[in-house]
Amino acid sequence: MKKLFAAFLICALTASQLIGCSGGGSTAPATQAASAETEAPAAEKEAAEPQAEANTDPIKIGCIQDTTGGASSAGQPNQWGAEYAVRIINENGGINGRPIEIYCRDCQNDTEVGVTVYRELVDEVGVCAIIGPPLSNPASAWVDLATEDKVPIVGHFMDEICTTDPDTGEAYPYMFLVEPSSAVQGYILAKYALDELGIKSVASLYNTSNAFAVTQEKPFVDYFVNNGGEVLAEETFGWADTDYSAQAQKIASLNPDAVLLTDYANQMVTAYDNLRDAGYEGYILGANTMAAPFNTLVKNPVKDCYYVKNYDFTSGKIADLVKVHMEETGTDYPSGNVGFGWDAVQVLASAMQQAEDPTNGEEVRDILENKTVDIESAGEVNITLVPETHRPTRDMGMFIVTYNEDGTTEEVQTYLTSDYKAE
Amino acid sequence: MTLQLLISGFSLGAVYALIAVGFAIVFSIFKFSNIAHGGMISACAFIGYFFQSSFEEPPPFIVTALFTTGVGVLMALLIDTIAYRNIRKKQAPGLYYFLMSITVAILIEQILSVFFGKNLHTYAPIFSSTTFSIGGLRFSSIDTLIMVISLAILSALIFVINKTKIGLAIRTVAISPSTSQLMGINSSVVIMAVFAIAGALAGISGVLLGTKFSVYPSLGPSMMTKGFIVSVIGGLGSLGGAIVAAIALGVVEIFLTYWLGSLSTPIVLFGIMLLFLTVRPEGISGRFAKDKV
Repeated sequence: MKKLFAAFLICALTASQLIGCSGGGSTAPATQAASAETEAPAAEKEAAEPQAEANTDPIKIGCIQDTTGGASSAGQPNQWGAEYAVRIINENGGINGRPIEIYCRDCQNDTEVGVTVYRELVDEVGVCAIIGPPLSNPASAWVDLATEDKVPIVGHFMDEICTTDPDTGEAYPYMFLVEPSSAVQGYILAKYALDELGIKSVASLYNTSNAFAVTQEKPFVDYFVNNGGEVLAEETFGWADTDYSAQAQKIASLNPDAVLLTDYANQMVTAYDNLRDAGYEGYILGANTMAAPFNTLVKNPVKDCYYVKNYDFTSGKIADLVKVHMEETGTDYPSGNVGFGWDAVQVLASAMQQAEDPTNGEEVRDILENKTVDIESAGEVNITLVPETHRPTRDMGMFIVTYNEDGTTEEVQTYLTSDYKAE
Repeated sequence: MTLQLLISGFSLGAVYALIAVGFAIVFSIFKFSNIAHGGMISACAFIGYFFQSSFEEPPPFIVTALFTTGVGVLMALLIDTIAYRNIRKKQAPGLYYFLMSITVAILIEQILSVFFGKNLHTYAPIFSSTTFSIGGLRFSSIDTLIMVISLAILSALIFVINKTKIGLAIRTVAISPSTSQLMGINSSVVIMAVFAIAGALAGISGVLLGTKFSVYPSLGPSMMTKGFIVSVIGGLGSLGGAIVAAIALGVVEIFLTYWLGSLSTPIVLFGIMLLFLTVRPEGISGRFAKDKV
């Protein structure tokens, strides 16, 4: 009986794991490529000699995003942006004549799954670089793996601990961030609150289980306090919490001038509604996850909300990307994450183009670190990575955005990230 | 502030009560905690959402709720047929029901995740305002509706179980399915009736919770831990105990979160559960259920 029970348990767990993996969202091209992978050794041997002069072998890169997890509203457009960038690069001749093959996997916003799909991409598919997600928790688990495997990871994991060692301040050799970090975004929000909105007191409501949220809240609070503001409360919640009414009521009773909300989109919606339901009527400041579809999901009217945003959708490459994304996928709101995926691929492709062997992780890493200069982003600003931190220089622009009464958004302020002083 | 927190606690408790009743009704017969109830709530929330979205002008809430309740009944009977009937036939121990319910719950959640992702979907609002005020106190419109419906459901269930023939049959089967069979009660029909009731509860819960929060695959499963705590403290299988425990849990949770913060609150909540299991394992209701799982 015990054996039968054990067998049943194993079957149930294995089945759920398999289903989870299949939900992993391996895209069609990836599946095709994966099946081709099993035949690759023989084919590669045959192809190696004739191609000695002009190598046209595809360059395999991975793309790990959350396409079915709690941050999939960001992960899906992010993946589309990366795939679209690869499509355009290939249409224009690839990397020095070699096409890119992109293998997409779903980390489900789960650190453990993230490691599993990383291993699959590196060990089984044989990718030479990876486009990472806008998620700090899974990305932080790849720091040592990427170093060991010599696989550069370029992405939007905004927690600075994904790119630099918090103890030594030194950059992790294979991790590269191509947008302002969450700390920078926190500083910008705090600066806008103090300088433009005239806010004197704030409270925060954030997810302590989410590295992105924690590393945005603390810099925000530090900057706010250091520049004369008062923090009345720092309220928290976790992944398992579904209702933040008590925290919202506490904040509402303190009645700060503004409340900072920071987490992924789903939790932002609940937090906003709980605050408004508790009677809080002041300003609400938010992470870039307050962008659409936030305004269509909340049950209370969206008013007095200000959040950071990476792109101005009305002009430049991002306008085209957003338009094509909406047309191709049927998405009914513009998503800036398509620009994230696009930008990460552009930065990686630029390094690969400069490399003698674009599949050599060490060589590409060195170029990413030292020669990522003025790569035009989807938002038509330049991405230059600082060798010491593997993050963009402090002149990369961001916007402060607010919602109008009709649900449209309006950029109210543009900041260069050098416009603030963190100390 | 204390009164306002109390109202919030009752509101949260009403949500837990809605889940706990569905939990308790199945436990009262089968003596296992039907974790699959959470998956069914999510599935019903999605079905209700897509039903409502299929109309240009969203139908009245009651239409969506009735439709989803009907679908919930059919789904519960289907799950019973596929997952539990064979186990029942083989008179397998309660542990197998429990394992099967976990399997079904994971299966439903993953199917929903694969087809719809984990993005939020929102029901059309039922009320023009999310809150209303009485005497300076704020009440959540949807929480008030959930509380009214939970109490109405509980009253109806207590009436059915205590005053009707099918209720008598349910109570008899709950004590001993084999003996009740010998007494001429068709226990298969009774079991189907219980699953149908649980399915109906999952249906209405799906619509109400989907309206209160949003619709996503882990909507129901995310509530199951609290539903389980409530059913243990209430007395496994006790409907009245579940409701009392649900309200108590909601109130305690709100006050603890207010005073201690969200990180420390679970420590105290699970401490209370530990205390109950140690001091009064039969829970609030005082009825000790056999074969607890």
